[in-house]
Amino acid sequence: MDQLPNLGREIEMLSEMGMSSIDELFADIPEDVRRNDPLPLPPPQSEEQILADAQHLLGANIHLDSRPSFISAGLARNFVPTMVPMLATRGEFLTSYTPYQPEVSQGMLQAMWEFQTMVSELVALPVANVSMYDASTAAAEAITCAVRVRSKRSSQPNTVYVSEFVPPHRMSVIQNYTQGVEIDIKILPHRDDGTLDLEAAKAANDSCAVYVEQPNAFGSIDEGLLSLRSIIGEKTALIVGVDVVSLGLVEAPGNWGADIVVGEGQPFGIGPTAGGPIYGIFACTKDYLRLMPGRIVGQSLDADGKIAYTLTLSTREQHIRRHRATSNICSNETLIALMGAMHMSLLGPEGLERLALRVTAATQTAVEAVASIEGIELIYPESPVFREFAVRLPCSSREALERMDSMGVMGGFDLSQWWGSMNDCLLIGCDERTTKEDIEILSSALSSSIREVSA
Amino acid sequence: MSSVFDFNGAPGSGWSQPDPIREDAGKNIPGSIRRNTLPRWPRASEPELVRHYTLLSQKNFGIDTGFYPLGSCTMKHNPRINERIVQMPGIDRIHPLQPDSQVQGLLAIYYEMQDMLSICAGMDSVTLQPVAGAQGEFTAIRCIQEYHNSNGEGNRNKVIVPDSAHGTNPASAAMCGYEIVEIPSGSDGRIDLQALRAAVDDDTAAMMITNPSTLGVFEPEIAEAARIVHEAGGQMYYDGANFNAILGKTDPGRMGFDAVHYNLHKTFSQPHGGGGPGSGPIGVKSHLAKYLPSPIAARRARTEDDPRGVGDGYWYFWEDPESSIGKVQQWNGNAGAVVRAWAFYRRYGRDLERMSEHAVLNANYLRHRIMSSQRDSEKPTMPKDGAPSEVVKHEFTLDMSPVKDATGVTAKDVAKRLLDYGYMAPTLYFPQIVPECLMLEPTETESKDVLDKFADDFLSILSEDPEIVKNAPHTTPVRRVDEVLAARQLILRHPCE
Repeated sequence: MDQLPNLGREIEMLSEMGMSSIDELFADIPEDVRRNDPLPLPPPQSEEQILADAQHLLGANIHLDSRPSFISAGLARNFVPTMVPMLATRGEFLTSYTPYQPEVSQGMLQAMWEFQTMVSELVALPVANVSMYDASTAAAEAITCAVRVRSKRSSQPNTVYVSEFVPPHRMSVIQNYTQGVEIDIKILPHRDDGTLDLEAAKAANDSCAVYVEQPNAFGSIDEGLLSLRSIIGEKTALIVGVDVVSLGLVEAPGNWGADIVVGEGQPFGIGPTAGGPIYGIFACTKDYLRLMPGRIVGQSLDADGKIAYTLTLSTREQHIRRHRATSNICSNETLIALMGAMHMSLLGPEGLERLALRVTAATQTAVEAVASIEGIELIYPESPVFREFAVRLPCSSREALERMDSMGVMGGFDLSQWWGSMNDCLLIGCDERTTKEDIEILSSALSSSIREVSA
Repeated sequence: MSSVFDFNGAPGSGWSQPDPIREDAGKNIPGSIRRNTLPRWPRASEPELVRHYTLLSQKNFGIDTGFYPLGSCTMKHNPRINERIVQMPGIDRIHPLQPDSQVQGLLAIYYEMQDMLSICAGMDSVTLQPVAGAQGEFTAIRCIQEYHNSNGEGNRNKVIVPDSAHGTNPASAAMCGYEIVEIPSGSDGRIDLQALRAAVDDDTAAMMITNPSTLGVFEPEIAEAARIVHEAGGQMYYDGANFNAILGKTDPGRMGFDAVHYNLHKTFSQPHGGGGPGSGPIGVKSHLAKYLPSPIAARRARTEDDPRGVGDGYWYFWEDPESSIGKVQQWNGNAGAVVRAWAFYRRYGRDLERMSEHAVLNANYLRHRIMSSQRDSEKPTMPKDGAPSEVVKHEFTLDMSPVKDATGVTAKDVAKRLLDYGYMAPTLYFPQIVPECLMLEPTETESKDVLDKFADDFLSILSEDPEIVKNAPHTTPVRRVDEVLAARQLILRHPCE
């Protein structure tokens, strides 16, 4: 109740309007739809009580930093520089709305224009928007965008080919976003060694789009994707999902023919936050600019000829184009993208490379340690991996994880939650903060767990 | 001011990180796919960047810097305790795929929020997964689509929206593949029941509408509208953008709605953050519950075998609805926004209706202060009410066309001039059914003094020299920005050269 400055001044304000009670302000609500009883909710709390309850409830969660943790599955247990949350929560940023009035929003607009530039440089494509909700909605809207641009000129209208190694939760988002507009999703198979079946990919030639991930759901980096452009033809949109940190080490998709690049921006800017708010990146070539989703900032001049920034190409958007809009997106993840921009500028080019090296060093060390445990096999032993890798255990992965949990180790992600048949498979994820000691603890917990479960 | 790309220190300068844990790091990545040229990001030190972003923030207007009467956006104060809570490791450092036993506290908060939101809207089930209002709309329409499909009524291919609806309504329904039928509002800005009767048919899937309407007036015939749509076999969808007006006074369930979205970033104080993040949970009546996205937080009585819970006697777990549409965001929604909204609602508890009372009190008071001066003012040109109504709810519209006709000063000019006075401009030219529209929503967190001062300043702008107003703003960090030029030259990034 301390949020209401006019408490106690109601009568004064009402009498100025010729009224005597608050009820008169609600007299326009017909009796048959009015609520006459109080809301069955608990009594109000003070800030002190709320904080205590939050500490109690959130304190009951076991957080990733409290023990060796190897759960990633597309999100990163990152380290966010202290500057980032401190500056992003400055009230001028935190409490502003979408910058519809550029004259008093230059701060956020310039920061987003700089964000667009950093994303554009990262993926090597000329255009980026100010964020999507997450990597999955970015992938889904990249597909609908590509179909809008390509369908009329394609010999396979409304048809999009998607790698079978896309996380099923993301596939579910893609299906929800594409089913209504009748996009036919066809699956691109992978070979036994985990690489994309390039022979099968020929079927995608002259379709609307191909969506692949680099690294894929199992953390594998696939050199073969570099030849995908020539296989699918010039006119098919090549959409690539990335791990943004990997691009400090792995070639940017814009340099091997991608038309649209999407990904989880989260490793830059914010912790995993139980899955949100995070942000998806969306970048593309100029061919897709006018039919892409999301807000875009452009540079312009003010009435005095001074450089100024403003939202642009708004005629694509729902508030103007309504049902013919390129997307329904309105609120996006700007503040988290701002945090991403801050983190990226702190890293700088060499910092990005170092970050990628740290992640890959940890991943490679974990691969070697885990693969040497008797009874455990790498599912794709030939694949170079980044951040994650998949292993097959001699027992149920769920049970092994429960054992490791009781030893105080988060040993990975049970892949049967994504693919039911992989009930003996584990996805192990590393990050820049994974230490040699963490990996030793993981190895010993994993080997004793599988012994106990198998026994 | 300078750009972040002007910082170009020595290679490798800047923020420090530990070494990789092995010396041959990166050797596992084949040379053919190694990146040769790093992105041309800035090379800057922390002191330079702290100053850069601080200076940028000083050129940005937020609720914290001034009154923000942006209609339809509910720009209320964002309590700072919420920001403190979401930086706790028990939310910031949680992975959405951790097992239930490790996230009992988060599940308990989700459960409590689902319950609270159900109660407030008169719905039976809630999912917190959609991460924005528009995504909530999309999700609910998807559930309605599955409902019709499973009843063998997949032929229902039309969604009805009033011409005063938010643009996201038709855009979201179109993304589900629906054809949009737009019905005109009556001359008073309210639903035209006759137009609605003429529009419904056996191909009607749903109607999407907000109440109070985007004009800020309550639709008294909403229950009749719901009956008309239901009789035709359609579903009623409530756009919760204006929920701040009615909480505790009525609810969409009573009005006859089947599904609703909530904007936690409007009603429940999640900060707007310059355009997001938001959170757009949806609530549905029981017949739609089994289609909700998965998972939903559920609970049962805790047994002795369960590991530690949160001490309330329950064991919480994620549950997949029986015929779920699947996922609309990859994880469990914007959990950080849900936790902030939880902290906000706890502040009011059963007194949430006080919040709506004060939102409506402030809107009516501001409207009165502006409109009453019309009668006793000597000023020649005054705005008209956007919609005739004894009282408004949380927002109201002004038709500025008399001002434009008399002086040539447009609604946009007045909006820009307000920036010079230290206010955010109201929502402009929406809803489109009001000519030269300004839409004002003061919210409950502004004092009478602020509203008085704003009304005086607003009125004094109307008697200023029209040339000053037409060329506004004059005192902002930049003057009026050329939006046409921006769209023509399309400079969408720094050249990095």
